[in-house]
Amino acid sequence: MTWTMTGGLAEPRAPVLVLGIGNALLQDDGVGLRLLERVKETAGPAPDCEFIDGGTQGIALLGYLTGREKLVMLDAIGLGGEPGTVHVLRGGDIEGFRARRAATPHEGNALELLAMAKLLGEEPGEVVIVGVEPAAVRTGIGLSDAVEAALPRAAAAVKDILEGMRRRSDVFGDSGKDC
Amino acid sequence: MAKRIVVDPITRIEGHLRVEAVLDGGNRIQNAMSSGTMWRGIEVILEGRDPRDAWAFCERICGVCTTTHALASVRCVENSLGIQVPVNADIIRNIMFLTQMVQDHVIHFYHLHALDWVDVVSALKANPAATAALAQKAAPNWPLGTEGYFRDMAGTLKKFVDSGQLGIFQNAYWGHPAYKLPPEANLMAVCHYLEALKWQKEIIKIHTVFGGKNPHPNYIVGGMASAISMQGDNAVNIERLNLVRDQIMGAIHVVEDMYLPDLLAVAGFYPEWTTIGGGLGSYMVYGDLPRNGIGDPSKFLFPRGVILDKKLDEVLPVDPADPSQIQEEIAYSWYDYPNGKTSLHPWDGVTIPKYTGPKPPYKELDESKAYSWLKSPRWKGHPVEVGPLARMLVGFAGGRPEFKEVVTEALGRLKLGPEALFSTLGRTAARGLESRLAARWLLDEYNRLIDNLKAGDSTTADTRFWNPATWNAESKGLGFTEAPRGALCHWIHIKDKKIANYQIVVPSTWNASPKDGKGQHGAYEAALIGTPMADPKRPVEILRTIHSFDPCLACASHVLSPDGETLAEVIVR
Repeated sequence: MTWTMTGGLAEPRAPVLVLGIGNALLQDDGVGLRLLERVKETAGPAPDCEFIDGGTQGIALLGYLTGREKLVMLDAIGLGGEPGTVHVLRGGDIEGFRARRAATPHEGNALELLAMAKLLGEEPGEVVIVGVEPAAVRTGIGLSDAVEAALPRAAAAVKDILEGMRRRSDVFGDSGKDC
Repeated sequence: MAKRIVVDPITRIEGHLRVEAVLDGGNRIQNAMSSGTMWRGIEVILEGRDPRDAWAFCERICGVCTTTHALASVRCVENSLGIQVPVNADIIRNIMFLTQMVQDHVIHFYHLHALDWVDVVSALKANPAATAALAQKAAPNWPLGTEGYFRDMAGTLKKFVDSGQLGIFQNAYWGHPAYKLPPEANLMAVCHYLEALKWQKEIIKIHTVFGGKNPHPNYIVGGMASAISMQGDNAVNIERLNLVRDQIMGAIHVVEDMYLPDLLAVAGFYPEWTTIGGGLGSYMVYGDLPRNGIGDPSKFLFPRGVILDKKLDEVLPVDPADPSQIQEEIAYSWYDYPNGKTSLHPWDGVTIPKYTGPKPPYKELDESKAYSWLKSPRWKGHPVEVGPLARMLVGFAGGRPEFKEVVTEALGRLKLGPEALFSTLGRTAARGLESRLAARWLLDEYNRLIDNLKAGDSTTADTRFWNPATWNAESKGLGFTEAPRGALCHWIHIKDKKIANYQIVVPSTWNASPKDGKGQHGAYEAALIGTPMADPKRPVEILRTIHSFDPCLACASHVLSPDGETLAEVIVR
């Protein structure tokens, strides 16, 4: 047999994955993808960070989590707050959502993805979800004004998180100053 | 007294489908309603855009079928502009298609459907030594099957379940008497669930090689964007092609040595499900996997055709370009057609929402009025089922040897006749048999690509019609494919270099459609009617039949339920 479970396209992986999730055809539902673009642009060269547009894929994204030390997910999160509110969820908060229902338009995806990674023993050591409270989740391209206006704040939050990760560990090494 | 069961939503993956079943006094389903509860309207987004960009939007319609929508989209534009793509482009598209199909079918079986048959909680009671003995008998060529392996895996599973994270195994009814597998068979299946989860991460890398990236691989009107240079560093080179070959060998191994043995083992415990859930008995396939260009359906690996009323001695011709054959009706849908029309061919199709249903959240729908955001596509007025069972039956009935071989062998193993195919289990089995064909065809297509490259042909795109100045003022086209869930077609009308109209009829719309003007049910509804329910409060029977279609209402009604993950809601009155 020429094939093994771990074989094939085994590329060196950046220790940090920034994963945008959402549907770009459903207005604010796609805020995670817009946020990803913005973070990517303002981050400059970041060899130790990988940025992936996950769209609305679920299980199929599992491969991108393998071998990561840290994961930052960007998504629309509906917690019943004011549209444009930026949410940052970490460990305990995320665990809470697993037991609850109905928090984000993609909960089935994002949380299922994390649970499956855990089942395989491949959950990244640190997981943070950054989300923006949506105003309009219906067919259409482009964000609502409130969510568009929240992008700079959300991007700043992601930047802080990435910097915090760098301070607290050596995963970024010397090359990741700009991440 | 009629009781009504509501299951909403029924999909484990994204999407929103609502099924209502009305029982008779003996707990048998006497009427069923399938409703898409969210409006889609992708067509509206595409109007006025550059046709060459349409695929990139279509790729975002569905989180599962990204490549199939992109394929149908570039094909409809090419058909409209009169472009014939180079041979290599067809082969690479076939490889992308087959990769998607095998990955999707394996995920469906293990991660979306198996839990309707396999009891995860019961697996924890299994004896590892007895499980190893069972695995040796059922799946002798699958390497992971020792007592120690099953003991370790059971430990991992127990830890996971004990941590209260059964969430991903939700939407099932553990301990329900309808689960018939012994604990050892349950444990074997759950272990293979995990192996499949690991494997699916690998196979999809084929899309990254040819599509440049994944998810959302690149397509291009006129061919494929994959630059191939056997010895180059910055293109698809021999090293990458070898990796593709390794992945294909892995897919064959997983399908033949794990998936099919599991499928047959599980099927053996549920013989009654070869007589339940058949439904319409009429099937339609557009066909795909061109061997002589998309214009020559006679050379498709998946043959085209229609079977009516279970008549396997006759395969009728189908043409998605013929307005008299394919019509979308709206008698029970929340749409409006102009001038009092009740059905339209997709080239003339319009998407005007007209919601007349109850204000959500609601307890029940009124089946005497419009009750779905899905239209009702019909072939010459007949409701038809699309998907793996349709494809296997059309190939089988048409006498294709490779179809006859896999179908006959599986039926022989289960000691069943062809009539067993018209059932819930037949649908589930067809998906596995199709995966076997698909994995083998992957290798065939790969070898064809290598032969072409060795012969010096590395052309992957025809860009002569890229410039809109070369286009006619007005043109129409269609792009069909066979998505994992069935026949998919995009219809386009290009005018003044822009999209004037774009209509998509997805497989789940054929299968999950509401009634038509003649009162004929769609495939889901027909399949549910007549099903006996053991315990109406825990309607595992409904899940089995609906999941056997592999519903993806992300395709049909577009998306993500606004309330996210929801357990099956069951209301009995």
